[in-house]
Amino acid sequence: MTGPVQVLVVGFGEPSLSGEILAELTRLGDAGVVRLLDVLLVSRTENGDLETLPAPPGADPDLGRLAAAFLTAAEDEEGQAGQGATDPTAWSLDGAVLPGGAAAVALIEHTWAQPLVLAIRSAGGRMVDETWLAPDDLELLDRLAGKAQ
Amino acid sequence: MLLVPRQLRRVGMTGDVPYYGGRFTPAQAYAAAHPPAPPVGRPPTTRADQQLAALQHLLDTGVITSEEYRRLRARVAP
Repeated sequence: MTGPVQVLVVGFGEPSLSGEILAELTRLGDAGVVRLLDVLLVSRTENGDLETLPAPPGADPDLGRLAAAFLTAAEDEEGQAGQGATDPTAWSLDGAVLPGGAAAVALIEHTWAQPLVLAIRSAGGRMVDETWLAPDDLELLDRLAGKAQ
Repeated sequence: MLLVPRQLRRVGMTGDVPYYGGRFTPAQAYAAAHPPAPPVGRPPTTRADQQLAALQHLLDTGVITSEEYRRLRARVAP
């Protein structure tokens, strides 16, 4: 991997994978912006079990295999699963998908960001925080940017 | 196939850890990662006792300031 990799978990009311989402990620991949490493469909039963779902019809039958292997605990780690609750830097699919829900889990490499990350590191910078703007804040930013122009 | 998710570290775009994401300060993260020993003595019995004990824990572990503790305590036990 050359760029930072993001785990994007998109929840759905029922197991599905939008062709539009895959098409857009593919388009961005063709443009050299991101690279879709894999997408995994999962669902969570009411009793808490997390299960993989088969790839949608027409999709690569290997879709989800890499993500499942990466996000799953090895046998010798199974006893540790769920023990990261006290570590605020820990994350797992366990806490991301609620019982009765389904989600598409995408591993996305942000190839566009590699030069930026290298520049930050070479300048001795350190990321201390990052977030995405909420829609109302985005509108405010739009208005302010419009006034400035 | 049944999945047993493993724990991943949450980091920022540059790979720096720990990543607080605006949710935890370093002091809060440390406090959450190092829970204190369970309190000795008689356990709290009332709801107010439990809330006060929880507030004291938050104060002791640096999650809230003394001022926040006093303000929140006044709500529980005016």
